[in-house]
Amino acid sequence: MGIDWYPLWNSLRIAAISCVLVFFLGIFFAYYAAKLPRSVKGILDVILTLPMVLPPTVCGYFLLVTFGLRRPLGILLAQWGIKFVMTWYGGVLAAAVVAFPLMYRTARGAFESFDETLAYSGQTLGLSNSRIFWRIRMPACRQGILAGTVLAFARALGEYGATSMLIGYTPGKTATISTTVYQLWRTNDESGAFFWVMVNLAISAVVLLAVNMLEARQKKAVRK
Amino acid sequence: MKTKRIIALLLAVAMLLAITACGANTAPEDKKTEDAAKEDTTPADTSTETETDKEKEEQKADEKDPVEKIELIVFAAASMTETMNKIKELYEAANEGITITYNFDSSGTLKTQIQEGAACDLFISAAPKQMNQLDIAADPEINTEGLDFVISESRINLLENKVTLVVPEGNPKGLESFDQLAQLLNDGDVFMAMGNSDVPVGQYTQKILAYYELSEEDLASAGKITYGSNVKEVTTQVSEGSVDCGVVYATDAYSAGLEVIDSATAEMCGQVIYPAAVLNISEHAEAAQAFLDYLTGAEATSVFESVGFSALS
Repeated sequence: MGIDWYPLWNSLRIAAISCVLVFFLGIFFAYYAAKLPRSVKGILDVILTLPMVLPPTVCGYFLLVTFGLRRPLGILLAQWGIKFVMTWYGGVLAAAVVAFPLMYRTARGAFESFDETLAYSGQTLGLSNSRIFWRIRMPACRQGILAGTVLAFARALGEYGATSMLIGYTPGKTATISTTVYQLWRTNDESGAFFWVMVNLAISAVVLLAVNMLEARQKKAVRK
Repeated sequence: MKTKRIIALLLAVAMLLAITACGANTAPEDKKTEDAAKEDTTPADTSTETETDKEKEEQKADEKDPVEKIELIVFAAASMTETMNKIKELYEAANEGITITYNFDSSGTLKTQIQEGAACDLFISAAPKQMNQLDIAADPEINTEGLDFVISESRINLLENKVTLVVPEGNPKGLESFDQLAQLLNDGDVFMAMGNSDVPVGQYTQKILAYYELSEEDLASAGKITYGSNVKEVTTQVSEGSVDCGVVYATDAYSAGLEVIDSATAEMCGQVIYPAAVLNISEHAEAAQAFLDYLTGAEATSVFESVGFSALS
């Protein structure tokens, strides 16, 4: 086993791209959602958090109903050559949808506990809003943002239900570590399934260790 | 503050009730609809104990009652879903006291569940292989684990099916036959869905690929084949238009309203035989045998033939 490394490359690629997408989208919504009027804020919050609460297969079903190749949106996108069904970037869509609420909620929590007087001071000093955001707000909230990013990456890497329903299992094209483990188990390839389980554990361990080291280093810097 | 506390308490209680209702295995009536579709073996294991205890209690109570309440658990290949559900309605209406609970899935999965201890009275598989793997009287080359679950005298070949090539509405690749499919696969010009190697229809498809001297491994690593875990998943992928074509049974094509392009001959994949047998772990072997006899009768046969099965007995 291990001859076909595609699932590893595919899972990492999907997780990384979803993580980047979700990073910007999550922060965007977290920042602007706070500024909305109360009524809209509540409903938007529910919609944006929904994928986290729904079972992944339910999310997968919604994605199929929206982007399926017999559905209006799916047909439209297909005309431009974009097919989310049975493609690796469909996996990015699925992973981003389920990971988004994690980034969104964590970022929102971080922004809400941000001391606004820092932003006001920036304004009195004549800084533009975007400078205030990227140079004051983000660095101040970086622990929360980092935590959200890690959660989102982990969720994207471990996505199974929605991914399986949307992109299926095509070796060499859409296979991820999670769908590969399932299929190998289903076809009684115990050693193969176990191999990929170990690979996944190793990646997760490395990522978490790296994050811990990063956090520790930041805490040290802050104390000084 | 008081109202908030009361509401919180009510919500907590409601949550507890919901969890206990979903988690616990209660009367057999609950199992009918929900558990029939589950794939996990663990829930099946725990429910085996509660269920057989309840059945024993019921049997003791019912010894005095005129009508004995029996729950028959039937594991059947996914391709039989529609027909078996219809037959269940007919049988239960004619036989008071009998409730049938189904578990439909790929025969490979069902065989594994039986092997792992799931409760089952009657097993109908989509290929002789899975039945042989559970039959001690079968060729040891096939029953490599020496499993003994089948009551050999009850085993019969129930149905015959056909393996077919189906396409989504509109036939995007203009497929006309298995021969043409083989050529397109060779050229890398078509995207096909098939069952994985644990699924009988997948095994038949492998035989067809071998017949055309195509390498499944090469095609798979080139990304030309996508695998489903049972025949219904493959059928859905074709219906949704996610693939150019799929290999499923004639009966699944009929039930899903898919266009059948070509049927595989016996030379290409062998005969598609569905064996059925009562299992020796059954708590209701007689009732199970009675149901199996019914499946070979005229009423059941007409249901099977209406979707494209051929009755063998």
